[in-house]
Amino acid sequence: MFSFQRRNVLRAGAAASLAGLSPLAFSQGKEPIRIGILIPLTGATSQFGATMSLAAKAAAEEINAAGGVNGRKVEVVIEDDQSNPEAAVRAARKLIDIDKCVSIGGSYASAVTSAIAPLCWEGKVVLETSSGADSITRLPHQGYVFRTSPTTSLQGTRVGDFAVELGAKRMFFMGPQAPFAQSYIDTISAIVAKSGGTGSGLIYEDKKASYRSEVDQALRFKPDVIVFGGYVPDTAVVLKDLYRAGYDGRRIGLSFGVNQKLIEAVPAEVCEGTYSLVPSAAEGSSAYKRLVAKLKVPGLDSYSCQVYDHVVMTALALASAPNAAPNGTTVRDHLRNVTQSAQGKLVDSPADGLKALAAGTTVNYDGASGPLEFADNGDVKGVFFRYEQAQKGALVVTKVA
Amino acid sequence: MLLELIQLIVNGLVMGAVIALPALGLTLIFSVLGFINFSIAAQMSIGAFAGWLVNTQLHWPLLPVLLVAFVVAGLIGVASDRVALAPMRKRPSSHMALMVAIVSIALNLALENALRFGFGSGLNSFEMPIARDVVIGEIRIGPQQMHNLGIALLVAVLLAAFFTVTRVGKAMRAVADNPDLARLKGIDPAKLSNLATFIGMGLAGIGGALLAIDTSVDPSTGARLLLIIFSASVVGGLTSLGGAVLGALLVGVAAEVSLLAIAPVYQSAVAFVAILAVLLIRPSGLFAGTAGVRK
Repeated sequence: MFSFQRRNVLRAGAAASLAGLSPLAFSQGKEPIRIGILIPLTGATSQFGATMSLAAKAAAEEINAAGGVNGRKVEVVIEDDQSNPEAAVRAARKLIDIDKCVSIGGSYASAVTSAIAPLCWEGKVVLETSSGADSITRLPHQGYVFRTSPTTSLQGTRVGDFAVELGAKRMFFMGPQAPFAQSYIDTISAIVAKSGGTGSGLIYEDKKASYRSEVDQALRFKPDVIVFGGYVPDTAVVLKDLYRAGYDGRRIGLSFGVNQKLIEAVPAEVCEGTYSLVPSAAEGSSAYKRLVAKLKVPGLDSYSCQVYDHVVMTALALASAPNAAPNGTTVRDHLRNVTQSAQGKLVDSPADGLKALAAGTTVNYDGASGPLEFADNGDVKGVFFRYEQAQKGALVVTKVA
Repeated sequence: MLLELIQLIVNGLVMGAVIALPALGLTLIFSVLGFINFSIAAQMSIGAFAGWLVNTQLHWPLLPVLLVAFVVAGLIGVASDRVALAPMRKRPSSHMALMVAIVSIALNLALENALRFGFGSGLNSFEMPIARDVVIGEIRIGPQQMHNLGIALLVAVLLAAFFTVTRVGKAMRAVADNPDLARLKGIDPAKLSNLATFIGMGLAGIGGALLAIDTSVDPSTGARLLLIIFSASVVGGLTSLGGAVLGALLVGVAAEVSLLAIAPVYQSAVAFVAILAVLLIRPSGLFAGTAGVRK
């Protein structure tokens, strides 16, 4: 028995040393670099899960076709967070402890991100997130958290400004218990108050079959604009109950609640005229156009584009430091160097980025989701929003700003 | 204040009506088979999907839609019971009811994920017009929700008639009362358990379809309400069919009226408190005993 084992060990050792010498594209003896992707494939926030998964795989394919990172293949390990913090923690543990991922991308619902963030910074793994709650980047994350989605205060500010633009005097917010709900109420109310109006809100439970009593409470405030902070399943029911109650004032939602899935889920008259603010992907950018063409889809949501960028940013950060150990700390320390370096060569694809880095040039990657410039706390700066309105069962873009 | 209270009670009755049918199904299955079948949540979603398919593809109206929801959920209920739960029940053990209940949770997840595999996680809508509420005095009432209440009450009456008038219904009650004695009398509990599962899951299917017409169709449609349905059955006594309807209405009204005192975000705590209070004060349920008490 022993001799067999020894022979195998010797054989494996010989193969490994041969591989080290041979001029292959990927170092055969080395494990691939694993990038974790934790996304909602199921549950209340699952509407973008499928395209997020495709986008992550597309990024890895492009990176590997360009020769990988420092001679190593990258592999995305995709896990389902089930839109549920508890399931997300289990999945994140697997990605960190078993798969030894250098970063975790995707992470969409704020409750999910809040739950896994401590695991990431404790495990020295970079967390790239598409969540909005302000509380996330206030965590003591030691630089391990990068957020590519606009924060709740930024989104709330945009919603507040838009409500004022629509002439709102009495704003009422309705949303489920989530890390961002109260923050929305405060931000939007403050903006409406500044223009002479008043704001109020109600936080409800997200798994109800009827929101009649909550709608009654909202209508007692006599709002001229109602803002929805929920996800699709609860927003669908709230909208129906508002319609039944005869409310025909203005309605504004955010893209995680008012989107194409919602339009398909309720009769057209129920959401007619409802506005939605959508963090916009960089739709004019060549990175966006290339990704859309590669995935053969007519268009992509911002969140899937962000997941694509999460994979690319990690790969470029590691490629920019070929002599450092390929781990989360290296990603953390070099991520800004490849996305916001003022002198860097502007690149919009992982292939161009990897080629330039291999030639010793610094790069500045502008992704499919935007220019990817991060503040010190990890929040992304300079994002665009699309303003859409439900008209006869379809979402129509009214402006991009 | 009084108007507000009345409105909350009306809203609670509406809410209760939606959960009354699945609660009836859960109660019926418990009465005859002696265990809580938690796969009722997935059967609600199955009923919702079955109804949604014939409504959107074949443009069938409400009543045939509900019939399809009943039959499809009933059949899948029986089939999955035969495959997953019946073999468990054949193993005599003092923990049998608990074991089968736990396996039914697994069955629930399997069925829900099968739906997800087949239809995706997205939300779907019935092709049915949505009616504005009728205002009587200052109280708003949803016509559609009143239909739900009417259908739930009608089904409860039909079931009551079935159990008191028909031979099969009486046999089911006999099994519910004392399975051994019923067997001595030549009643085959296995056959009746199929029928009870068919009717129980069929009711869940109708409940799911009605719920989905109000809300939306997706694989978690039923799962969202499982706790409150279970709570309604417990409050109703778990063996009384009338109790299940009353329990559902009571839990619905309690949950809505509680909004006067607590924030909406803690509402499902009311269902927990209802279960706890009933188990502590009157363990047999508020309305137990009208259709036979299982020992």
